[in-house]
Amino acid sequence: MSERANPNVATRFFDRLGRTSVSAIEELGRYGTLLVESFYWLFLGYRVGQPVRIGAFFSEMMEIGVRAIAIVGMMAAAIGAMLAIQGIYSLKVFGAEGHVVFGVAFSMVREFAPLITGILVAGRSGSALSARIGTMQINQEIDALEVMGINPIRFLVVPSLLASLVMVPALTFMSMMIGLWAAGTYVNFALGMSLAAFMDQTISILSVDDLLHGLGKSAIFGILIALIGVVNGFMVKGGAEGVGKATTRSVVQCISAIVVTDMLFALVATL
Amino acid sequence: MSSNEQPMPPTVIEVRDLVTHYGTRQILNGIDVDIVQGEIMVIMGGSGSGKSTFLRHLMALQMPTSGVIKILDQDVWGLPQKGLFNLRKKLGVTFQAGALFSSMTVGENIMLPLYEHTKLDRLTMEIMARMKLEVVDLAGFEDLMPSELSGGMIKRAAVARAIIMDPRILFFDEPSAGLDPVVSSQLDDLILRLRDAMGMTICVVTHELESAFKIADRITVLDKGDILFIGTVEDLKNHPSERIQNLLNRRSEEAEIDADEYLRRLTGDKLEAEGMPR
Repeated sequence: MSERANPNVATRFFDRLGRTSVSAIEELGRYGTLLVESFYWLFLGYRVGQPVRIGAFFSEMMEIGVRAIAIVGMMAAAIGAMLAIQGIYSLKVFGAEGHVVFGVAFSMVREFAPLITGILVAGRSGSALSARIGTMQINQEIDALEVMGINPIRFLVVPSLLASLVMVPALTFMSMMIGLWAAGTYVNFALGMSLAAFMDQTISILSVDDLLHGLGKSAIFGILIALIGVVNGFMVKGGAEGVGKATTRSVVQCISAIVVTDMLFALVATL
Repeated sequence: MSSNEQPMPPTVIEVRDLVTHYGTRQILNGIDVDIVQGEIMVIMGGSGSGKSTFLRHLMALQMPTSGVIKILDQDVWGLPQKGLFNLRKKLGVTFQAGALFSSMTVGENIMLPLYEHTKLDRLTMEIMARMKLEVVDLAGFEDLMPSELSGGMIKRAAVARAIIMDPRILFFDEPSAGLDPVVSSQLDDLILRLRDAMGMTICVVTHELESAFKIADRITVLDKGDILFIGTVEDLKNHPSERIQNLLNRRSEEAEIDADEYLRRLTGDKLEAEGMPR
């Protein structure tokens, strides 16, 4: 019996492994295709009478960016203050609390501001995008667009992708400023260093490269959030339950992609 | 030809040898259909007959495995992208659940094709949307959201959106589904009115016999991917084929299966394999 069962287990394992690998490659292909198609519609859509509507782009910028200002600002302030608190606490051991500005400035601008902004936008807008497109998919609204002669990628995806590409770096920049301000305020309270001195030191420490490092990867996060949200939305099957699953999957994939990309970016940038 | 005979209207949809597979499963087995201008063609069939797949092919939403579909003399799958967009402007579709965009008002839904395909100003688009809403008896509903409408109203709003560009061909996917008989009958009247007043060619997929008999000029009956019948309602009602009469009278072909056979089908070969008497 076991002699017969073992090959079946092995066969099943390799069968599942093969299927999972194929579907993962297929999904990667979808991301690639979607990105290429999005750029096609963005730059060449007008040639087939399907330009990207500026109104839709602004509406998405409002949704992805402007409506996220409050939460991103609050989180950035909390992270900035937390970095200052931890920095002063650890450096106190060496009697070097005054050097906390180095740690805070680099961490906030190069790592924490892009990361926290990316994660928050993924949770807010990546999931919303997935749910919206998933619901449209099951309600045949995507089919309706197609039969009306409206390309769904051009109509739904490009404005979101573009808005995400613009607004995630913009929010990241805001997050950097608020985080540094919160850290400076705490340093002023804990060490008596004035906010002006803190900012002056921060500016002298940071270079344009540091700023571009943070903003550059936040632009990549923006693209990842939009693509993952959209692909998961288009893959929805099976009604409301499918939409729920796609939304969860989208958030998990977005955050994982952001963290892994962040690590790779840091690795490449510091080589 | 006698002098009183009307000339045959031109064919607007021509389907030749349409074959569709889903994996190894064959859905359509070489369908040939012609739909002529100004007629209401109803496509009927039971579940799994291939009628929804057939409609998706006609709407150019799904590519068949093989075969040719010509709409308004244009080979749908041979058209370049721009050609397909232009062709779609001449088609209108009403989906089973309406497929109105839930984030837009009824008026915005109806104006969307105008906004995307024309350069009309907002006021003109609003006037046109109101006109179409009047055609479907929904005047004054343009500022409501789709979630505020009943099922029948959603379908009528979807019809208004489908006819906003004055299409030459209108497709309906299960227009009566989920509606009570009164509302369903009103929708049938609307379909007839659209054909008579606007001269549209209309293709309706339905499994509702009463509705089909009321609106159809001709009926195509599909069964397991084959065409069982194409012709007028009268011809269908009087057709001698037992298979067709079973479909019309909603009788299962296997309605008279015997009890032993039914038990064998449920238990498979397990009882026999275990030596138990059947």
